[in-house]
Amino acid sequence: MKRRLTCIECPIGCSLETQNITQELTVSGNQCARGERYALKEVRNPFRSLTTTVATVFANCPRLPVRTKGEIPRKDLFVAMELINSIIIEHPLLPGDLVLKDLLGTGVDLIATGPTDPVYAFNGYERSHGR
Amino acid sequence: MHSLKKIRKLFDRAGFKEIEVAEKHKAIFLSGNVDHWDRYLEAGYLAAGKGYRGVVNDIQVRGLIPDSFTVPSHSDKSLEGRHFHAAVVGGGVIGAAITRELTRWQIDVALLEKENDLSRHASGRNNGIIHPAFAAPPGSLKARYNTLGNRMFTQEAQELGVPLAWPGLLVVFPSRMMHMLMPLIRRRARQNGVRGVEYLTPEQVRAREPNIYNKQQGGFFLPEGGIVSPYKLTMAYGENAISNGAQVFLQTAVIGFDLIKNQGGNRIVRVNTNRGSFTADLVINAAGIWADQLAEMAGDRFYTIHPRRGAIAILDKKVTHLLKYNIGQLLIPAGKSKGGGVTPTIDGNILLGPTAEEIPHREDFATRTEDLAYIYQHQMFLNKALRSDQVITYFSGNRACTFDEEFVIEPSSYVENFIHVAGIQSPGLTAAPAIAREVGRLAAEILKKTMALLPNAHFNPCRKPLPVMSALSFEERSRLIKENPAYGKIVCRCETVSEGEITDSLRSPLGVASLDGVKQRVRTGMGRCQGGFCTPRLVDIVAREAGINIEKVSKSGPGSELVFKKTKGLVDYSSVKILSEGGKEEESHD
Amino acid sequence: MISLDTLNEKWEVIVIGSGPAGLAAAVAAAESGAEVCIIEREERPGGILKQCIHDGFGLLRFQEKLSGPEYAYRYLEMAANRRIPILGNTFVLKIQREDTGFGLTLQESGRGVFKLQAKAVVYAAGCRERTSRQVYVHGDRPSGIFTAGTLQYMINIQGYMPAKKCVILGSGDIGLIMARRLVLEGAEVEGVYEIKPEPSGLTRNVVQCLDDFGTPLHLSTTVTEIHGQKRVTGVTVCKVDNDAVPFRGTEKYIPCDTLVLSVGLIPENDLLETLGLGLDPTTGGPPVDQYNMTALEGLFVCGNALHVNDLVDYVSESGVLAGQAAADYARYGRKRSRCLQIIPGSGIRYVVPQLWDSAGERNLILYFRSSQTVFQAVLEVISGDRVLRTEKYPVLRPPEMQRLELKAEDFSEPLQDLEFRIREVKI
Repeated sequence: MKRRLTCIECPIGCSLETQNITQELTVSGNQCARGERYALKEVRNPFRSLTTTVATVFANCPRLPVRTKGEIPRKDLFVAMELINSIIIEHPLLPGDLVLKDLLGTGVDLIATGPTDPVYAFNGYERSHGR
Repeated sequence: MHSLKKIRKLFDRAGFKEIEVAEKHKAIFLSGNVDHWDRYLEAGYLAAGKGYRGVVNDIQVRGLIPDSFTVPSHSDKSLEGRHFHAAVVGGGVIGAAITRELTRWQIDVALLEKENDLSRHASGRNNGIIHPAFAAPPGSLKARYNTLGNRMFTQEAQELGVPLAWPGLLVVFPSRMMHMLMPLIRRRARQNGVRGVEYLTPEQVRAREPNIYNKQQGGFFLPEGGIVSPYKLTMAYGENAISNGAQVFLQTAVIGFDLIKNQGGNRIVRVNTNRGSFTADLVINAAGIWADQLAEMAGDRFYTIHPRRGAIAILDKKVTHLLKYNIGQLLIPAGKSKGGGVTPTIDGNILLGPTAEEIPHREDFATRTEDLAYIYQHQMFLNKALRSDQVITYFSGNRACTFDEEFVIEPSSYVENFIHVAGIQSPGLTAAPAIAREVGRLAAEILKKTMALLPNAHFNPCRKPLPVMSALSFEERSRLIKENPAYGKIVCRCETVSEGEITDSLRSPLGVASLDGVKQRVRTGMGRCQGGFCTPRLVDIVAREAGINIEKVSKSGPGSELVFKKTKGLVDYSSVKILSEGGKEEESHD
Repeated sequence: MISLDTLNEKWEVIVIGSGPAGLAAAVAAAESGAEVCIIEREERPGGILKQCIHDGFGLLRFQEKLSGPEYAYRYLEMAANRRIPILGNTFVLKIQREDTGFGLTLQESGRGVFKLQAKAVVYAAGCRERTSRQVYVHGDRPSGIFTAGTLQYMINIQGYMPAKKCVILGSGDIGLIMARRLVLEGAEVEGVYEIKPEPSGLTRNVVQCLDDFGTPLHLSTTVTEIHGQKRVTGVTVCKVDNDAVPFRGTEKYIPCDTLVLSVGLIPENDLLETLGLGLDPTTGGPPVDQYNMTALEGLFVCGNALHVNDLVDYVSESGVLAGQAAADYARYGRKRSRCLQIIPGSGIRYVVPQLWDSAGERNLILYFRSSQTVFQAVLEVISGDRVLRTEKYPVLRPPEMQRLELKAEDFSEPLQDLEFRIREVKI
């Protein structure tokens, strides 16, 4: 079976084609070795980082941005979304704080990427003045 | 007056042999079939001006979906069994002005509007010019009410707290020969009561309007040309009417009348709407583009309304300084499709247009590619500093035209408690105060026959306008912000509209909890970003003020909601296909 | 929030905007020793980054793949550590030239209308989105027409879903990113339509935001008409030729409830225009010199207000440049001498900066875009008859901005205007 994909390893964006003739997967269209590596990984089991939001109980932050701290198998994106959609954050968090450990057993954590108090940063000046 | 026979001959000669021409109620009735909308119009105009009360054009156009008005999806019984002394149908500037006029008497007045807000049709879709009474034929109702209305405007706007300016109208000559028309122009002005006509040489025109196009050949200036916000004026009439005791019912469409036979003719006893039926002593038809259909419901249809579309382009405020006057061009023959030119607005934009195009569907408000092509080619050139990339948006509206191209302002000859106010196209906005005054007089005459009519001792013609922050000095703004901090928080950046002004509009007597309702009152989203930044904030403010869920917040009433639901919780991903393998499968070529 | 009595009226540098450009500028100005404060019109700082929850930010500046809010947070922490006040919910009503610099008239709920003065101003107000009408999509005005950024705010910050089935017009990066967001949040994306024959966004985004979810990208196709009076009921799409003229007869009706527009960004410099500053018609920003200083001395512009960037790292870099220079200007009153032009020549869409103060810094950072996609491109920087620099690129694409550093040693006297041009190498 033939598959087509565009290489994103560098700005050239080669059009790659993979072919599964016997058991061996072959790549064509690449101009360098990075292209071949990219195609093999993409076709066998592509990984993606997932960025989305979770609900919170905070009125001025109804949604908190989150991301996976690393990549998860692309096939798991929607299973992960179903789980993430059920989360409600009840405690204040800062960017980098853990939201969910070991998402779906992938070994990758889900972390907050924003503060639950969105005007927190405005207070930075007061914080640095020791208030 | 032409005999029916003579008209028949005219029709035969024009190839309308299959069109039936009849007379009923002293009006011409046309029926039959034609192949094109153009032919429909041709037939209508052929029958016009022959000395009859009007032209009813019931000719069908083959292949064209018959036009019918949208009825609000909402229905309830809130009007069931009620009684009003007067019911005004149609919440445009005419209906709103009449309603306010009727509150000078001690009577119960209802204004019925089928849309979600006032001024949703022609009154909210025009260029806001207060015309000098120059274009209308001398002796016509158009000329009469134009002149009267023009002279009433200063006081009317002052009472209603609506901004008004008189930049004047500059009419330029595209050809040198037109200078010879000046005596005729002066005579027309004299006949119509237009004051202050001033002849201008090409040099004088250029001195007044430095960006005028190069090839102009002079022209004339009419100082009685004004500008007003047509929708703000309509709202102001509505609000003042409410303060004086009238009731405004939005999303309320008249779907029929119950009539009885009297010795004087027919009489409307019940008004049936999607919100129940009520009784009324008097019904006033200010239904604009649908006025003929309302007249039909009352059993006195003697005119047909057809829509003449006008598209208008709005320019970024940053180019407003490039134009001083309303500018039009003298076109000969003037014809019925005048179209517009270049106009400054009271809110500080420049408008190009409107265009003038006959279309078959009355509620078709879609713009088309041809609109802008026309505007850029035939209107924008008047001011050589204007460019198409300064356009921020455009819209269109439909003029309510009769085939006689004349206002219909009269009590019904066949229904004793029904007044026609129809065919109010340009200069309808200018004429509005005068028409309202006249209809008020007609209404009083009818009502006096069945009741004792007492003046409303509490009538106050003045409306206190809400603060407009961007129009105030910095000191005044500061003072208001101290009183109400919400005036300090800018929600709409482009038009610098504060949260306080938005909540004011929602809490006003005629507040409408929709994005367009807020927009028409305080200009949110009318700037160069067209609501890109303020729309999400407005959704929250409208929901909060109206006490509704965000899913209920709409752009312009039910059916135009913005948000389907909130994110998160249970989401159905069953239709999503995610491939376990990367890349795209090769398309098969066999 | 800072109370009025603790707020100075006079500043060395005032930065307008707390996005990635403004924050970087303020931090850089503070590091250069200037007294600086930031004006932010929204209630939350961070600019557009707040709603850009996808990752890929900061690869150059932090060698990490951060999300937008994380990237903003890094800078907000730096600003806090340097005690830079950020005045939130504060709107600039007016900016004017004064004897000692600039006077700003501001509005805020707690303070009313008030004034601040600065010796130098860094303007970093970002950009706004082009609308449907501005790309001549016709029809009525129903609800359900959103620019990608507006939709992004509603979905990512408010948590509202304004779409069930949508069509996206324009393959700019925000449009592509939103295609993925919409699918992840449960909406159907019928397709992305692009009037040009190639995508406007980065290849990586086409792959990961569209291909991953089987969302089709239709090139050389545009939306010509919106249907529906209350809510969008569908759109008409149409194929176009290479000059973007629709092919009659290729119209197709597509039912949908939402049209999302990602059809370009416009630097928001309307406030600067009130100062009489002209704008570069190609970039939409005012022409600046190598310090990001405009024709008005003491007024600096950076970030997307200067020209629309595709990488936040470059936005912050331009902020650092402006911030440092503004601090120097405010503190030492550097005067500008003779300015030379930097001209976009053959094959070049634009180069920023457009000017070059010949008595100033000779290590120049220049950003440029090509006019079209060119493979095996050779860029030449020309001064008079001499070629100062030659750079080879495997490919240059208009959506991908290029950064080039010129070193002092690249130049030789007499200094002349610079011209950038592309020589295509045929294989």
